[in-house]
Amino acid sequence: MKNITTLCLTIALFWTTTLLAADKGASPVPATAKCAVCGMFVAKYPEWASTARFKDGTLSYYDGPKDMFNHYFNTTRYTPGKQQADIITLTVKDYYSLTPLDAKTAYYVIGSDVSGPMGQELVPFRTEKDARAFKMDHKGKRIIRFAEVTPLSIK
Amino acid sequence: MITTRERHRNILDFALSSLGRRAGRNLSLLTMYCLLIFVLASLLFFVSALKREAARLLEDAPDLVVQRLVAGRQDLIPENYGAGIAAIRGVAHVEPRLWGYYFDSWNGANYTVIASDKPTVKDGIAAIGSGVARSRKIHAGELFPLRSPGTEPLLLEVGAIFPGTSDLMAADLIILTPSDFHTLFNFPQGKFTDLAVTVTNRKELPMVAAKIAALYADSRPILKSEIQRTYQSIFDWRGGMILLVLLSAVLSFIIFAWDRATGLSAEERKEIGILKSIGWDTSDVLLLKFWEGCAISLPAFLCGVIAAYCHVFFFSAPFFSPVLKGWSILYPQFQLVPVVDISQLLVLFFFTVVPYITATIIPNWRTATMDPDAAMRS
Repeated sequence: MKNITTLCLTIALFWTTTLLAADKGASPVPATAKCAVCGMFVAKYPEWASTARFKDGTLSYYDGPKDMFNHYFNTTRYTPGKQQADIITLTVKDYYSLTPLDAKTAYYVIGSDVSGPMGQELVPFRTEKDARAFKMDHKGKRIIRFAEVTPLSIK
Repeated sequence: MITTRERHRNILDFALSSLGRRAGRNLSLLTMYCLLIFVLASLLFFVSALKREAARLLEDAPDLVVQRLVAGRQDLIPENYGAGIAAIRGVAHVEPRLWGYYFDSWNGANYTVIASDKPTVKDGIAAIGSGVARSRKIHAGELFPLRSPGTEPLLLEVGAIFPGTSDLMAADLIILTPSDFHTLFNFPQGKFTDLAVTVTNRKELPMVAAKIAALYADSRPILKSEIQRTYQSIFDWRGGMILLVLLSAVLSFIIFAWDRATGLSAEERKEIGILKSIGWDTSDVLLLKFWEGCAISLPAFLCGVIAAYCHVFFFSAPFFSPVLKGWSILYPQFQLVPVVDISQLLVLFFFTVVPYITATIIPNWRTATMDPDAAMRS
């Protein structure tokens, strides 16, 4: 009971520290954007949001790197009339800082205990050091680079 | 040939006139029924509105707060803990916070005192909540003294008063500068009340909390989700307590309604017997009783719910607020945001109206299936 009371009293103070929490929520993903592969709303999962930009200027959103790779490997299936070669940039979000990151330079941890909206995910990192630390903390299996991702590893 | 609609209308007409013949008895039933719905619906509305208000306030709270414990009690946290926590992967920002409580012996109220660097407060000028202003009878621009451990009381000027329209938390606030805070409480330099930790990725929060607990054995990380859960359960618990108190009222109503609904008087049996003998079907009699039940239940339900809505959202629930809102001397004056959860109303409906109508129909069905002659004689 004493702990509950302390907890409660603590909250009285919380609302003052609002500034930081507020700008964290700013997400560039439009509320209506759906994942090009699974059709789920992407804005609900801002920490996983990934994108692909095509030559013609169109932008596809994904609710995780796994679906982004799915689209990358089967571009014609999900966007008829477009080829893999039409994709100019792929971005994922760094797990720790949530800043956008070129998918081709990222380090991905697979087999960890952190799951995304589509289950098992490739968790992206900007630096290898972060990826190693995450792998240790979250029981990851392996760190892989963009070129090592195969349709089999995203099954 | 009469249509189904006309048949229903005729039977409803008859049901109303037959209720009218026992006006006193039915009116007392209606009043009690209405009161019961009013109390239950008020409780539902009030608890859910309070929960929503608390959740709304907590939305802006930091994800993680770190306190220090000494011998199981909360103690001041040294500044260097912040640097250690900021180095943990995933932590975006650590903000040391200075806050505490001030007991005002003049009126027995407890104020929440927070130090802030915001430009609304300067040394010697504080911003206060509407509750503080009310209890101290002070206005913006006036001076008010606070007792401090030093020889001189701390004199503060009221810079601004927070409008306390919808804020459960701001009523008892005093916001002042860190240096005034140190003077007021003789607070040691280099120590803070707690640390507010911002973690960029909310998925990483439990891991960060675990790392903090491992890094500083005497620290206690508190997650926002834990606080949210605690708040919800506290309001649920208090709501449950009131419900327990009301249980006797609810039970007596159930007994009353049961008695009223199941035990058919000789007069009522006779009436059913006569109806049957002049050519009414069993289904007609049941329909009549169904409409009688509706004519009592639906108005009672509607009146009760509307009265509860007014009680909670227009008058801020004067019957319940002392028990439910808190233990503070300075009650925040606020109006709850009126939102009604349809599913709650449906639950209330199915737990009151439906059993009542069912309970009225069954004994009548038993009588209606009897021989009319036997029904009239019994």
